Amino acid sequence: MSQLLEATFWSATVAGGMRLATPLIYASIGETFAQRAGVLNLGLEGYMIIGALSSLYVADPTSAPLGFLVGGLAGMALASLMVLLSIRLFANQVVVGFGLTILGIGTTGYIFHETTDVGGRDRQVSLPSEIDIPLLSDIPWLGDAVFGHSWYTWLSLGLVIVAGFVASRTIFGLQAKAVGEDPDAAAAKGVDVLRIRTQATLISGFLGGLGGAALMLGSVGRFQPYLTANRGFIALIVIIMASWSIWGAAVGAFVFGFFEALGFNLNNVFVDVPIEGLNAIPFFVALVILTVSARWARMPRGLGQNYVPTV
Amino acid sequence: MNSEPGAGPATGTPLSVRGISRRFGSVQALANVDFTLESGEIHALVGENGAGKSTLAKIVAGSIRSDAGSMSLFGQPYEPLSRREGAAAGVAHVRQQLSLVRGLTVAQNLQLGRPGAPAVFNAAAARAEVERWSDEFALSVPAETLVDDMPLAVRQQAEILIAVAWGARLLILDEPSSALGPLETRALIALCHRLRAEGTPILYISHRLPELAELADRLTVLRAGRVVVEGADVRAADLREVATLMIGDVTLLEVNRPEIERGSTRLRVSDLSISSTQEVGCYGLDFEVAGGEILGVVGIAGNGQESLAKALTGQVKLSSGHVLVDEVDISGSAREAIAAGVAHLHEDRSTGLAAAFSVADNATARYAGSRKFTRFGVRLPDKIARHARELAERFQVRPPEPTAKASSLSGGNQQKLMAARELEKNPTVLVAHGPTKGLDPEAAKAMRDRCFAAAQAGGAVVVISADLDEVADLAHRVIVLYRGAVTDAFPIEDMTSERVGAAMAGLTESAGATSG
Repeated sequence: MSQLLEATFWSATVAGGMRLATPLIYASIGETFAQRAGVLNLGLEGYMIIGALSSLYVADPTSAPLGFLVGGLAGMALASLMVLLSIRLFANQVVVGFGLTILGIGTTGYIFHETTDVGGRDRQVSLPSEIDIPLLSDIPWLGDAVFGHSWYTWLSLGLVIVAGFVASRTIFGLQAKAVGEDPDAAAAKGVDVLRIRTQATLISGFLGGLGGAALMLGSVGRFQPYLTANRGFIALIVIIMASWSIWGAAVGAFVFGFFEALGFNLNNVFVDVPIEGLNAIPFFVALVILTVSARWARMPRGLGQNYVPTV
Repeated sequence: MNSEPGAGPATGTPLSVRGISRRFGSVQALANVDFTLESGEIHALVGENGAGKSTLAKIVAGSIRSDAGSMSLFGQPYEPLSRREGAAAGVAHVRQQLSLVRGLTVAQNLQLGRPGAPAVFNAAAARAEVERWSDEFALSVPAETLVDDMPLAVRQQAEILIAVAWGARLLILDEPSSALGPLETRALIALCHRLRAEGTPILYISHRLPELAELADRLTVLRAGRVVVEGADVRAADLREVATLMIGDVTLLEVNRPEIERGSTRLRVSDLSISSTQEVGCYGLDFEVAGGEILGVVGIAGNGQESLAKALTGQVKLSSGHVLVDEVDISGSAREAIAAGVAHLHEDRSTGLAAAFSVADNATARYAGSRKFTRFGVRLPDKIARHARELAERFQVRPPEPTAKASSLSGGNQQKLMAARELEKNPTVLVAHGPTKGLDPEAAKAMRDRCFAAAQAGGAVVVISADLDEVADLAHRVIVLYRGAVTDAFPIEDMTSERVGAAMAGLTESAGATSG
C-alpha cells in the first residue's frame, strides 16, 4: 500500500504509460486523418497486426528501421483494399473495415504458423535501447517518467507535432476536413473528394502499420497470433474521446496507456486482486471519458458515408 | 477587380451561348438555347421549376456538359470540362444549395479549392482578405465563424465574396433570394448593383418577378427548355406578361380565397416563451385562432418561426405559457398534440418525412402506437399498403405506389405525401410552415387548396412563412415575428409592404403589445 505514496511508483507508471501509448499514438493519429476525411477505418486493427508481422520478418534479417518502414507499407497495402472497395467501389465502410481486420488477423496468424516451428522463438528481435534526452531526464520526478524511452516513442511525439500542423495549417488538412464534413460542397469547390479520402486512408494504413511495427519492434520483440489484442479498436475509442483532434488523440492515447500501466503496476501492490480486473481499468476510464466527452464531441458529419460523385 | 485566374483581359462579350441543348433521359431540359450576357449588365433568367434555368447555369459553370451547341467567354471559345475549369476561366456559380463547406470558417472556405493557393494555410492572411472584401462591399461577413453558425443570408454573401476574391469575371446567382426575407433581398440587390458597377456581369436566376424590376437590366424567359423571350429590357417589360409567358397558364397565379365561416376559438396561445440554444426562441406570444380562420405568421427567416412551429405541435418544452387546442393543453407533448388533432406540414420535407421509408410507412406514420394497423403487435402490411394507396390517390401523390421510397418522389409529391399523412382527417389545428415553398405553381395551388380545405372543415390554420406572397394568398390575419416576439398584428387587408417591412425589421415600437 505504501508504495502508492512513493514518487517512483507514479513516475514508473507514467513512463510505462508512454511506452504502452506509443503504438496507439501512431494508429490513432493516422485514423484521425481518415475519419476527419469521412472514412471510418474499422480495418485499423488489421493494419496494425499486418504491420507488426511484416516489420518483424524484415527487421529480423535486416534492421529495425527498415522493418519499421516496411510495417507501415504493409498497413498501407491493406488500407489500399479499403480504398478500392469502399472509396472507389462504394462498398459499406463498416463491412469492409471489419473484413480487413479479420483478414489481417487471420492472414498474419496463418503466415506465422506456416513459417515458424518453435512458437516464434526463431523469429524475434531484441528490443531497442533507451534514448535519454539529456536535459529532460535530469528534471526530478518528471525526469524519471520520461526516462528511458526508445526512438519509437520519441518519433511518435514528433509525429504528433507534424500531424497537428498538417491537419490544422495546411490546405491538405482543410481539404480532408472539408470532405469529411461536407463532401458535396467540397466537391463543388473543386476538391477531389475521392482523391483526398484515398490519401487520408492510405496515411491511416501507413501509420496503423507503423503502430503495429512500434508495438512489435519497440516493446514485444516476438510475434504471437493476435498480438495487437484490440489496440486498433482502442485507437478508435481514443479518437472519439479526443473528438477528432490530433492533439487530443495523442493525449487520449497517453491516458489509455497510463491507466493500462497503472493496472499492471497495481497488480504488484494488490496481489490478491485478479489481474483481469486491473486490466479493465483503462476501459472503465474510457467509458467515463466517453460519457462526459459526448457532451461536446462532434463527429465529422460525413463520417462513414461513401461519397458517390454525381458528375 | 482582381482577375488573377482569368485567362486574358476581360474584353469581348462576357458570355455568348449558341444552340445549347441538353437531354436527361427522356426529358429535353434545354433545346437549342441562345443567350447573351453583355458587359456591365445584370441579366435575369426566369422560368418556372423545371424550365431548364439551373441546367443552363450548370453548363455555363462547367458542372455538366451540353449535348450540342457552343459557348464563348469574353470573346474566347469556352468549353469547360469541369466546374474547376469554369472557375479557372472566371465563372463563379453560386447555387441554390450553397456550396460553402460546413464545419469550416469563411476564411478556410476562401482558401479551400482556390486555384493557386499555397499548400500551407495562412490563417491571418485569409482572415485579412475576407475582412478586406467584406469592407469593400459594405458587408459584415465574419471571417472566423463556422459557416454552420451563420444565417443563410450571410452565408450567401460570404459565397459571393469568395467568388469575387477568387477573381470571378462573371457571376451566376441561382435563386439567390428564395430563402431571404425582404430586407435581406434588398441587401442582395445592393450587392449585385455594386458588383455590376465594378464591372462584373451577373446572370441572375429567379422565379420571383417583383424584385427583378429593381435589380436587373434585361431578362430572358425559359419555358420547358426553350427561350421564349430573349434579352428583353426589364424596365420596358410588362411583368404580368412575363409571368404569363413563364408559366403559360395565368389562372394558377390568381388565388381565389374561398369564403369561410368563422367558428369559435380552437387554438389559444398564451404567454408562450421558449428559450433555445439551437435557434431563436419565442418570447411572450399571445394569440388565438378560430376555426375557419387562417393566421399568417410572417418574419425574416430565423426569427423564431422554428420554435413557434415546434411549440404549436408539442415538440418543444416551453419555458412558460400554454398552447391550448380546444381548451386542452398540449404544451410540450407531441403525443397530446397528435391526439388533439394538430397537423403539421414541416418546413423541411427531408425532416418532415422519413425519406428512406416507403410511401406507405410515411402515409400511415401518424398511426404509430395505435392498433389500427397491427395485430398482436405485428404490422399488417397489406392493410397498410391498401390504406396508403387510397391516401396517396386522394392527395394525388405521383406515383401512388406504397412501396416507393419517399426520397424517390419529387419535391411537390413529397409535400403532397406529407399533406396526406397530416390531413387525412380534418385537423383541429393545421400548422403549415412554408407550405408552398419551392413548389411549381400547380403543386403550390394544390397545397393552398389543402390549407383552405382545412379551414373550411372548421380547423384553425397557422401559416408560417418568410414568403409574403404566400401569406397574402392564404391568410385572413397576420402577425409579424421579430427575434421571437410579435411586433405587429393586423388583418390581411391592412398588409402593406411598408407596414410589414417595418415590423419584420423590428422597427415597430410596441413589440408584442398589439398581438392577439
